[in-house]
Amino acid sequence: MSARVISRDRISGFLDCILRKYPLVAPVEEDGVVAYRRVAAAREVALDAGLSDVPPKTHFFPQTEVLFHYSNLSGLEIVEPAGAPETVLFGVRPCDLRGFAALDPVFGGRFKDVYYRDKREKTTVVGLSCTSVLPTCFCRAYGSSPVDGTGADLMFTRLGERYLVEVRTPKGARLVEDCADFFTEDGVREAAREKEVLARELDGRFVRRVDLDSVKEKVDGMFESPYWGKLAQRCLGCGICTFLCPTCHCFDIVDEDRGDRTGCRLRCWDSCMFTDFTLHTSGHNPRATKTERVRNRFLHKLKYHLDRYGLAGCVGCGRCVAKCPVNIDITRVIAEIKEVD
Amino acid sequence: MSHRDNPLRPHPATILKIVPETRDVKTFRLTLDDDEAMENWRHEPGQLAMVSVFGVGEAMFSISSAPTRRGFIELSIKCMGKVTRALHGLEAGDKVGMRGPYGNHFPYEQFKGQDLLFVGGGIGLAPLRSLVDFVFAEENRADYGRVEILYGARSYDDLCFKYDVLDGWTKQPNTHIYTTIDRAEEQWRGHVGFVPAYLEEVAPAAHNKVALICGPPIMIKFVMQALQKLDFRDEQVYSTLELRMKCGVGKCGRCNIGSKFVCLNGPVFSMAEIGQMPPEF
Repeated sequence: MSARVISRDRISGFLDCILRKYPLVAPVEEDGVVAYRRVAAAREVALDAGLSDVPPKTHFFPQTEVLFHYSNLSGLEIVEPAGAPETVLFGVRPCDLRGFAALDPVFGGRFKDVYYRDKREKTTVVGLSCTSVLPTCFCRAYGSSPVDGTGADLMFTRLGERYLVEVRTPKGARLVEDCADFFTEDGVREAAREKEVLARELDGRFVRRVDLDSVKEKVDGMFESPYWGKLAQRCLGCGICTFLCPTCHCFDIVDEDRGDRTGCRLRCWDSCMFTDFTLHTSGHNPRATKTERVRNRFLHKLKYHLDRYGLAGCVGCGRCVAKCPVNIDITRVIAEIKEVD
Repeated sequence: MSHRDNPLRPHPATILKIVPETRDVKTFRLTLDDDEAMENWRHEPGQLAMVSVFGVGEAMFSISSAPTRRGFIELSIKCMGKVTRALHGLEAGDKVGMRGPYGNHFPYEQFKGQDLLFVGGGIGLAPLRSLVDFVFAEENRADYGRVEILYGARSYDDLCFKYDVLDGWTKQPNTHIYTTIDRAEEQWRGHVGFVPAYLEEVAPAAHNKVALICGPPIMIKFVMQALQKLDFRDEQVYSTLELRMKCGVGKCGRCNIGSKFVCLNGPVFSMAEIGQMPPEF
């Protein structure tokens, strides 16, 4: 793996260099919320914002996405949106890189989701190491770390007034070549050593010690446990945990008709925390109560995703812990599960 | 984006014919507008298809025609909600969308050499009909033994496929059809009573037989109990499960029962498999 160094005052220039060649999606702060958006200039990028509120899965799996336009006037016509352009997604944190890895098999498999796959294949992912650990962070429990570049094409790590840039894939190498003037190979070794020091320092800053040992085996036999009912008593069913989760992928499909036999079909995020998510037309509902829905969410994170794809359904980003209005905390759930009889 | 590879893009399809079955059930005979797509369409008994009414939405249905009948696809649909109501308002010649087929199918290869017992209630006969007609097809009939079909509905009107259950199928050799309705009606000369009770009365022998059930959840539950009394083992009994679906291809997340997606791993499960799944359907 080759590496470069870029000085902090040249980052803007690098981002503008990207923008001359590719659309750039990066974290921006809007009304106090940090989310990933397409930007027009480097100055819009919230470079030091830390972990975003909304995960960057929005780039591959937008909250609302047009599947196709239809016209049912003289014969039926279906027109899909044009394919995605080659794009750079900048500033993805290690936990969110893991999130992409968790979503890849969902949108892959026997029926490949062209909307997700197309953007995924045409996007160069630039990772960004964390420089602090939030009280809600627990990526460590999943074998990741604040500086883990797994899944990135390029991995940036801020070290004072410069960044170490690790080139992890040919896509990453191409981006470095495209903007070669901004990088130097001088000081790479020293920077790599500094990154190791940073990694050790950050590792000591985790407040939450989450031990997943034996949790999967335990939840395998916990479907009927009264624990879920107790946990559900507090839940408001607002769905924020699912919307902000890097591994949640549920969606609804709806048609929007203009009233003239033309319109479009959209998909938009949905949540297993909502009553009508599983409601049959007959009125029957397999997950009619909050207990069943809360159980489904936690079992998805701790069991179902693992069963299906061999990958953890949680990446330890801590967003659901930070944003839950009634303080339902998956790290506490993990600890409590072990205590359940 | 190449549309041939997009599983969420429906094929434009045309309604060839609509057969009214009951007060609120119609069978829609469809063909895909693209000749090549229609030629390549291959479904298996028990599989599902997603039907679109553009501007209203999509819903998943069991395919009720047998794969041995080429050139069209039939879906028998009860008027229940938004999409089905819109479908019921359409006429022959109207355009819809169609994608699929989805899911697994009745493992008929494993049933060869055995007798078959079909137990259906109401619109639940729709997915079973695909397999019944498949078995009755000339090229397949010799592979299977005796066929018994026990079918019930709330009333005479609610019996679907009357031309089959009261006529066509009754003329098949080595076949017996039992029909019942829940409450007595003046012109009805047949059996009156619920499906599970009638099943116990008929008491088909379990030996070398596979039972295939589809109907409302409550019927399935009591039919299961009846079959157990008749010494059917869980491995001999198959049912199709129905959950709300949006994508049909394992992405949208709502048809899971535990770690299984009904759209990919189902809809057909043996009772032995269902016994291993959490009771959340």
